[in-house]
Amino acid sequence: MERLSTWASKNRTPLVIAAAVLVAAYAFNLVRGDIAPSMFGAAWGYAIPLVLAALVGVIGERSGVVNIGIEGQMLLAAFAGFFVAAVSGSMIVGVLAGIGTGLVAGGFLAVTAVRWRMDQIIAGVVLNIIATGLTSFYLVSGQSLPGVIPNVSVPLLSQIPLLGEVFFSGRSVIALIAILAAVLVHLALFHSRWGLRTRAVGEYPSAADTAGIKVERLRMVNVTLAGSLAGLAGVYLSMDASSTFEREMTAGRGFLALAIMIMGAWRPLRAFSMALFFGFVNATASQLQQTGGFSIPPQLTATLPYVATLVVLAVAAGRVRPPGAVGQPYVKKDQ
Amino acid sequence: MKSTRYLVAVPAALALALAGCGGSTGTSGAGGDTGSDTGSGDTAGYSTDDSNCADEEVFCIGLVTDTGNVDDKSFNQSAHEGAEAAATELEGVYKYIETQDAKDYAANMAQFTDNSYDAIVTVGFLMTEATVAAAEENPETKFIGVDQGYPEGTELTNLTGLIFPEDQAGYAAGFLAGLMTETDKLGQVLGQEIPPVQKFAKGFENGAKAANDAVSVQTVYHPAGDNAFNDPVWGAGEARKQLAQDVDVVFGAGGNTGNGALQEVAKADGAGESVYCIGVDTDQWDTVPQAQPCLITSAMKLITKGVTDTLMTAESGEFEGVQTVGEAGIAPYHDFEDTIPDDVKSQVEEIVAQLQDGSLETGVTL
Repeated sequence: MERLSTWASKNRTPLVIAAAVLVAAYAFNLVRGDIAPSMFGAAWGYAIPLVLAALVGVIGERSGVVNIGIEGQMLLAAFAGFFVAAVSGSMIVGVLAGIGTGLVAGGFLAVTAVRWRMDQIIAGVVLNIIATGLTSFYLVSGQSLPGVIPNVSVPLLSQIPLLGEVFFSGRSVIALIAILAAVLVHLALFHSRWGLRTRAVGEYPSAADTAGIKVERLRMVNVTLAGSLAGLAGVYLSMDASSTFEREMTAGRGFLALAIMIMGAWRPLRAFSMALFFGFVNATASQLQQTGGFSIPPQLTATLPYVATLVVLAVAAGRVRPPGAVGQPYVKKDQ
Repeated sequence: MKSTRYLVAVPAALALALAGCGGSTGTSGAGGDTGSDTGSGDTAGYSTDDSNCADEEVFCIGLVTDTGNVDDKSFNQSAHEGAEAAATELEGVYKYIETQDAKDYAANMAQFTDNSYDAIVTVGFLMTEATVAAAEENPETKFIGVDQGYPEGTELTNLTGLIFPEDQAGYAAGFLAGLMTETDKLGQVLGQEIPPVQKFAKGFENGAKAANDAVSVQTVYHPAGDNAFNDPVWGAGEARKQLAQDVDVVFGAGGNTGNGALQEVAKADGAGESVYCIGVDTDQWDTVPQAQPCLITSAMKLITKGVTDTLMTAESGEFEGVQTVGEAGIAPYHDFEDTIPDDVKSQVEEIVAQLQDGSLETGVTL
């Protein structure tokens, strides 16, 4: 009990904000029960790949590696997942292929940026170019998935009004993994030995090295494993949210995820909330367009997500600080 | 300091990624000579022997596809079938080239003009500029640009752009939707807000309201510019949201974005029983088979008929103008033939006939 109250007083601001948001959400649901659940649902649907992709960014940067290639990782995984499923006739094989492709793409970044100490931005850009090129070149039309990823609903949790409807029912298992992943990465990053080491490697690698942590190995493992989350995000795009693969269908979501990572101050749960916020702003923009009634031109409502991003970044500016060693390959000084 | 890296890196990465895609589409090299397949239809009715195209008596038709194949079940295939029909009718010569790379448009057309072809059909609005340029260079050859609207001041007598009244196609589809809806709520998931899409959308809305004045139409355009027609995930999300708000007929018009919406409706509960979807441009029963569970029809441009008719005009004399307006309608109902009541079908049929003979106006103004 005492621990709980110290925890609460330490996290007062986020808790107050979360409570305020929840109250606002339920109030909105009370007033506009006809559109509120679907809008929150749309927000979450939009946020799912962003949450997964932002976590990839968080894990990478917390270990000191900038990952600008998330877009490419997602695209490759979306491609591999879709076509392997279409050819093999098995959804599960496709999903595994997508996740595997994400791992391989993560491994590519790890080898180039960490082992070979290539400029991390360039390594990521190379990954994006390779992904666009390969997936455009080998794209064949007329394929379709053998099935759908079934929707699941969580017992008990799905009974919660509004929250259960939005988060715990009517979506596939990938959506649940996204929630779990955000929580687990948060716990691991801030409450485990691996997390402490990862943060040390990302903040001050020479000190970590002195303490006996193998900097290069930890970075490589983290960047590669994070690729599986990017793979899952890609699989979600081509096999769950839609049932098709199109050229560049990631449509900038990998870059958006990086912005969300920054807005989320390199913290998994904040990034999760930011992705939701972004999704909700998008849902609001389309809802305003859809219902009409307001005499706001659609061009103006379409700018809403960007205006909101600017406002949040302006408020957050100066308060968020990236990991100290992000972007710098680690070279032992006295070798 | 560090965070400024992103300010540079993110746009730079985007730019490079886009540049990368420009260089990696399709086959490399001279696609016009080596990378393209030249069609050889041995079907009866027309010849593919173009050695005597210079002869006045022989009418030679060449078709250049937009990057895509003549069996793409979409624009290219429709135009190809139209040209085949015309060649058969005229007992002429017909060949086609499938463009592999947008850079080869001119080279592919030159293969036909060099051989003194009489008429060349180019497919898709992306070929607009290349077609105008080729028509200027080859005044002896007649050019038909499918789905191409030319800028004001284009004054060539050997060129016509075959365009279609999107508003009429949308109107007919909307009329059907207005009769089919149980909830009196229709949805539209659209690509970018540009004139052809707006005409489909406003036509749909007017048609729906003409059929059922209690109906409300929820319209949403994709907000971003360059990927507006290629974001199936967004389209699916919007369709899902509309369904949750009691919409029971979704019109998906916007390339892959719209197709994403159709596929989402096809996966929804009650697809084909209580919720339906409507495609666009061509008969999407063929182009998006995944949408079949809900696809009652498509708001269709009658490209095949338009190409055939325009080629007949080209053979017999002068084009009616720089633009030729084709016809629009709706696609067959396929498996929903029995679901849609007979009186609905006959009402829609009447509307389509009235639109085509000009006795009914859609009332769409942009």
